[in-house]
Amino acid sequence: MKAVVLAAGKGRRLWPLTENRPKPMLPVANRPILEHIIDALTQTAITEVLVVVGSDRDRIQSHFEDSYGDLEISYIVQEPQLGTGHALLQAESHLGDSFIALNGDRVIDTAIIDAVIDRRKETNEPVMAITRIEQPNQYGVVELDRQTVVGLEEQPHPDRTKSDYINAGVYAFGPEIFAAIRRIETHGEQALTDALDTFIDDQRLEAVRYRGTWLDVSEPWDLLTVNTALLGTERSSNATPESATIDPSAVVRESTTVGENTVVHPQAAVLDGVSIGDNVSIGAGTTVKNTIILSDVTIKSETVMIDCIVGANTTLGPNTTVEGGHADVALSDTVHHDVTLGGLIGDNVAGGGNVTITPGTIIGNNATLDSGTYVSGRIDDRSHVQRG
Amino acid sequence: MCGITGYIGPDDTGRIVHQGLKNLEYRGYDSAGIALTGETLTLTKTAGEVDELTAPQSADATVGIGHTRWSTHGEPTETNAHPHTDCTGEVAVVHNGIIENYDALKRELSEQHIFQSETDTEVIPHLIETHLADGISLLGAVQRTTEQLDGSYAIAATAAGHDGIVVAREDSPLLIGHSDDATFIGSDATAFIEHTNRVTYLESGDIAHLTTDDITIYNGGEPVERSTDTLDWDAEAAGKSGYEHYMLKEIHEQPRALRQAISGRINDLATSVTLEVDLPTEYVQSIEEIQIIACGTSYHAGLYAKDLLETHAGVKVTVHIASEYEFNGDRDPWRTLVLAITQSGETADTLSALREATRAGARTLALTNTLGSTVTREADDTVFIRAGPEIGVAATKTFVSQVATTTLLTVHLGQVRGTLSSRATTEFLESLRNLPGAVQQVLDQAPTIKRAAETYADSEAFFYIGRKAGYPVALESALKLKEISYDHAEGFAAGELKHGPLALVTPETPVIAILTDQAAAEKTVNNVNEVESRGAPVIGVASDLAVTSDVDTVFEIPACGPLEPVVANVVLQLFAYYVANEKGRPIDKPRNLAKSVTVE
Repeated sequence: MKAVVLAAGKGRRLWPLTENRPKPMLPVANRPILEHIIDALTQTAITEVLVVVGSDRDRIQSHFEDSYGDLEISYIVQEPQLGTGHALLQAESHLGDSFIALNGDRVIDTAIIDAVIDRRKETNEPVMAITRIEQPNQYGVVELDRQTVVGLEEQPHPDRTKSDYINAGVYAFGPEIFAAIRRIETHGEQALTDALDTFIDDQRLEAVRYRGTWLDVSEPWDLLTVNTALLGTERSSNATPESATIDPSAVVRESTTVGENTVVHPQAAVLDGVSIGDNVSIGAGTTVKNTIILSDVTIKSETVMIDCIVGANTTLGPNTTVEGGHADVALSDTVHHDVTLGGLIGDNVAGGGNVTITPGTIIGNNATLDSGTYVSGRIDDRSHVQRG
Repeated sequence: MCGITGYIGPDDTGRIVHQGLKNLEYRGYDSAGIALTGETLTLTKTAGEVDELTAPQSADATVGIGHTRWSTHGEPTETNAHPHTDCTGEVAVVHNGIIENYDALKRELSEQHIFQSETDTEVIPHLIETHLADGISLLGAVQRTTEQLDGSYAIAATAAGHDGIVVAREDSPLLIGHSDDATFIGSDATAFIEHTNRVTYLESGDIAHLTTDDITIYNGGEPVERSTDTLDWDAEAAGKSGYEHYMLKEIHEQPRALRQAISGRINDLATSVTLEVDLPTEYVQSIEEIQIIACGTSYHAGLYAKDLLETHAGVKVTVHIASEYEFNGDRDPWRTLVLAITQSGETADTLSALREATRAGARTLALTNTLGSTVTREADDTVFIRAGPEIGVAATKTFVSQVATTTLLTVHLGQVRGTLSSRATTEFLESLRNLPGAVQQVLDQAPTIKRAAETYADSEAFFYIGRKAGYPVALESALKLKEISYDHAEGFAAGELKHGPLALVTPETPVIAILTDQAAAEKTVNNVNEVESRGAPVIGVASDLAVTSDVDTVFEIPACGPLEPVVANVVLQLFAYYVANEKGRPIDKPRNLAKSVTVE
């Protein structure tokens, strides 16, 4: 059976990291979110994966190439990107009587795939996996009649939330779905959930309850919580690769993961909840905790970095301080109160020594930070932060 | 220069041989053919690409051989396409290499044999026919035939009514692949890598008889054992991964290739490098000269290495186009290290130069991408660039990996010779570490480079200028453009412009200036002014925008220390790609060119 993974979305709330890579390529536990998903497909009846990709497809294609384990991988370009339903339509000619469709930005388990495949085989009806979460009103809330979805509402008001179950974004479909997608169009876009909402008016949509891992990354701090949730599980390798160099006087805790060719200098401490990408240098005496560091990053000596995300190819000078902790963070129009985010630093940032980054700061790509600066709030791409 | 493949096994022989040819197409693609052999022989040929060849079917075929050709003797016609047959139409032969004495053999045979083609290869099936007429086996007939041949060859022969395939190797590459129920042959492993990664490399002089259940290898008439190696490639590495062209895929693989090139080789804590070469300290300290031998892109990597080695390893370096190389000038072979750079490890010109160096008694070191290739067996020692398979004819990732690996070699030799300051060491190691990220940053700017390429695509000619390490990058970037876009493109040392080439510069010829660190940008700026006053548009590549005030189009790259010109090369790879793509050129298969050139 084939699986279609929808990976063309932009993920604007994860700026600036999504400027240079699509959201499914953001790493948690040192592997892109999409790799966790494709990995979950390897143990199932799926033999071939079609990845629907958008304008940032280079990163996905270069990472996965043409196969993953025994899975064959091919790519379908969605251009322009007009919603998840439109994305699925692009794959139509490659799909047979039954296939799996799933979102490329949520970490899931093998069990959810097996469950929707089994139900599809039993009933030959369209199937949606649903899962129970604490704050369902941020997602598509599902109204159920026993095993059937009878209502679907995106982000309902908390008072009008009809159940704790949400659409998990994993489906089994047949060709019937394409007709349903073609029937709808809102503001020039075709969303898969809109199509399903119309579909259930007169047809049956099977619901499969799922209790396993379901981790969504919507906002930057979700990267840190999802990273922590996966570190120390079988999805994360805590063995240090042979090509990495760790000085005997450095501390690298077990619930961390270190990439290829990375070097940890003397007296550095890599504490719980840390993922370090490939070809990274952690300077002498630096302390890192609850932090994600992408590839090709250089962190100089005596730096403190807590609750932080550092983009690729960024260099931070000696004595940089990201003290970590809680802050109110504004993303587009919404202010998120009291979230854990020491800082989000973009790709290719060049920081001097003694820079202090206050909690909740988001620094755009290619920014430069002069030595001794005190950085807070939102810093645009390519800005130059000077000492005032 | 060609690719050969073959198959013995239970599956659809025609289809598998056809796929093998498809995989080998980068070695040659101007004509192709397949012979299926059982009790009878079925032959299919085309004067075009493999796609134009229909996979043949034959009910009684037990074995198949195929060939994709890059013409040396005779035009790319159907008649000249391999496999070639004898007068009876029962013997089929595919061949890669050159039979040097074919003219004499052909004259001799012409009395009793009728020749169809203009190729050197056709003498082989006719010779086999003559020997088979004595009632001996196909193996015996091929053994006798090879005794009559001079030159380089990898051949595979089948004959109707004879069991299996007989292959013979003299210089030209040939290997056998083993899967659980089938046997494959190929000019390289790409031919069958989707079926198996277990291979046996044949050595020069080997003749092997492959049948359904047995493989016997002979050398000088005696049975010999050849080991079986497991390649760490897999089939995925030879696909296009959703990219329109292998070249674009390989350009985007460069950050990963560079991380692999340095992986485990940099010891940051001790600021030293580890290379898996065995060069004794006393020897390294006694070297008076390093001679680099290479062709094409590898030659440009050699020029870059010269700059690094002379400055930092304190040793005289000469770079030689391999086909022009001679060991002369009263050099002391004991104090000369010869470094052969070849991506494929099979480049005939480079191998021939290497043999010249070996004959003279010099120590030899190979720098290659290909495990098990001929150069690795012939040179005293090998350093691998670890770039992974490169299929696009225009080399991209292997150039940057070659430069990165020669940088490691420079640090190693400089440290052993005591000529490299600790500050320079740190600078080099930082630069190497920063290179993958810097290259990724350039790749993220691809849309900007694409727009500029579209603007300039219709120009009459393109001139690339640079100084110091920017000079080899200018040469290499110009080679990329001419290879795939067919535009007139030349690289010049910036200072040479005024000594002649300036006469070519007009408002229709953009000049691309390498204005990076390590490239004496402040001097090249004067040359930029020279061409601007002739009305030529100027494209500058720089990290420091202070030097680009007079430039029409700027490609800004991240600062990357001693290896910054390599980052500029990546920009210009993309520029060449987008110019060629704008013109609709067959980027992975440029006319008249082939990937690894195994003829001299």
